[in-house]
Amino acid sequence: MMVPFGHAIAFAGALFVLGLTCVLLRREILMILIGVEIMLNAASLVFVAASAYWQQPDGQVFVILLMAITAAEVAVALAMVVYLWRRKRTLVADEFNGMRG
Amino acid sequence: MNESLLFLILLLPLFCAVINMLFGMRLPRLFAEVMAVTGVAAAFVLTILFWGYAEGEGTRAVLFTWLNSGSVDISFALNFDRLAAPMTLMVTGVATLIHLYAVSYMHKEDDYARFFSLLNLFVFAMLAIILADNMLVLFLGWEGVGLCSYGLIGFWYRKLENAKAGTKAFLVTRVGDVFLGIAMLWLFALTGTLSISEINAQATSISSGALLALSLLLLLGACGKSAQLPLMTWLADAMAGPTPVSALIHAATMVTAGVYLLCRFFPLVSLSAVAMTAITAIGALTAIYAATCAMAQREIKRVLAYSTMSQVGYMFMAVGAGTVAGAMFHLLTHAFFKAVLFMAAGCVIHLAGDENDIFKMGGLARRGPVELFWVFLAGAVCLAGLPLTGGFFSKDGILLALFTHPDPTYKMFWLIGIVTALLTAFYTFRLVYLVFAGEYRGTGQPHSLPLMMRWPLWPLALLGLLGGMFNLPAFVGGGETLHHWYGDLAGRAVTTSHAVEWMLVGLAVAIAALGWFAAHHRYRNYQAPLENGVSRFLLSGWHADALVNFVFVRPFTAMARFCSSGCDRSLFDGTINGLARLATSWGGTLVQMATGRLTTYLSAFAWGFLILLGWFLLKLVNGGGH
Repeated sequence: MMVPFGHAIAFAGALFVLGLTCVLLRREILMILIGVEIMLNAASLVFVAASAYWQQPDGQVFVILLMAITAAEVAVALAMVVYLWRRKRTLVADEFNGMRG
Repeated sequence: MNESLLFLILLLPLFCAVINMLFGMRLPRLFAEVMAVTGVAAAFVLTILFWGYAEGEGTRAVLFTWLNSGSVDISFALNFDRLAAPMTLMVTGVATLIHLYAVSYMHKEDDYARFFSLLNLFVFAMLAIILADNMLVLFLGWEGVGLCSYGLIGFWYRKLENAKAGTKAFLVTRVGDVFLGIAMLWLFALTGTLSISEINAQATSISSGALLALSLLLLLGACGKSAQLPLMTWLADAMAGPTPVSALIHAATMVTAGVYLLCRFFPLVSLSAVAMTAITAIGALTAIYAATCAMAQREIKRVLAYSTMSQVGYMFMAVGAGTVAGAMFHLLTHAFFKAVLFMAAGCVIHLAGDENDIFKMGGLARRGPVELFWVFLAGAVCLAGLPLTGGFFSKDGILLALFTHPDPTYKMFWLIGIVTALLTAFYTFRLVYLVFAGEYRGTGQPHSLPLMMRWPLWPLALLGLLGGMFNLPAFVGGGETLHHWYGDLAGRAVTTSHAVEWMLVGLAVAIAALGWFAAHHRYRNYQAPLENGVSRFLLSGWHADALVNFVFVRPFTAMARFCSSGCDRSLFDGTINGLARLATSWGGTLVQMATGRLTTYLSAFAWGFLILLGWFLLKLVNGGGH
């Protein structure tokens, strides 16, 4: 049974907006990172759906690449989260405003 | 001998100047002094050796080509001709004696290398003016003497007024130089050459209007260097320099460069009768102006400075009356006796304990060596034009030329000349009486007078007294040697009946005697100087400085102030500072957007994303419309 392309796009869009909302509204760095992951997954979903729709393998190749990059990104980001926690004993993003102009 | 050796006359002083400039302070003092004197003395000897080259048409020598571009071919060329030779001999001779005097005069000075290198450089520049065959070489010398004059007037630059006097001389003469520069470029444009002899040869082909303008430009250039009427204010202040400098530069040589320039360009200048009248008028006005100023001066050197201006005025009158020989004759005798007067004045100042004011002198005939009085008197009688002195014959020749000029306006100039002669005799003997007669009125301790400061005066005093021999007029049985020497360069031949000549001589004798008696009557017994409006007016040189200040300096300063505070500081600085302030304040507003918070940036990112999305949607909708 094929899921129609429109459904897949709509679902991915909803997922993307949820992730964006999470990024914009949550204050902790960890939650922002999770929001980013959700947005990335939404993007992956679009790739997969498009790949299935046009019967081309490129989209799936991209998704695998994306997974690898995401894994690396999460590794670096979590290391930085640990570092930031050590600096200020907090993970609220607004506390880190050392770059103010 | 090779004619290129003529350049040695010029280059020896330059060589010594350069050596003294570079190594003077490391050389033993005696060596530096001897070298300075030797350089000039050698130039003098060479001039005598090369005398034969000047005869006939003279000798041109080219050292090297200076500029060569297209049709412009300017070579560093000398022209040792009949006009240049006597002047060269006079300059090198007088300069040698003054250098000797200066060695002694400046023996306590630490900066001897600077002094002697500038003095030697001056001799080089002066000789460049005299010998130049090319206007550019002449201009090089012209500017060179100005530079040396500036450096030597302000030699004791630690006193501000000396430095200011030097600057003033430099700036005022520069005004004249600008006119000379314009004349030079114009002549080049008209004739296509800068060679003086070629310009003179082509002078007849220049239109009369241009000729008049060129002559007036040359006249103004000469006025600047020779301290004639519009540009005369610097000479009296130039006396701030050391006395040998005043004797050499501001009496004997540099100030007569203007006369020499006019004589050099006489074939050109004499073509315009109006210009000749202008030259005579400038000379006459300066002569009487300076003579009146000299009557009220208190400083011995300022009296002599004004008398120099007055005598140079006579030389201008001679050129204007068309007699180059007369002008050069007076130039030569004047150089001798005025150099003597200045050098003797230096001795007098020494004797009076560095006192300049003649009203605080007196009785110096008995206070110092008696010979000083005699040499000063020798110079003074020449200046006053007592009969049979050199100054008498040269001045009389000029007055005769003015009197016999076909144009009746010259009679007026002649009258001015006569009145000036009267004033000259008066102020000269006033000086003699105030300095040498009566009792000593000052407080200064006399310095000793070394021998080297005394004997160089003698040859000059004798030359001044016997200078008439050079050009003894025919009616007293003389041969008019100088006139014959100049030949076709001598200008108009002054011929008149012997009766007129004797009458004029009688008048000149009477005038000189009258001036002497007036001074004798007034100053035989010391009287305090008059303190009234007239004497103050004359003391300040007819308030010429104030006038120049009012007419030129103050409007210029006002304009400069307007440009500086009105334009530069208000307008330009204001605009630029305003723009900068605007940018800073905008930056201050914008900087608030950089909060440094991640959330701010993320929301901005989201907003940007939304806008992009909206944009693409809009395009999609529009694209769908097709």
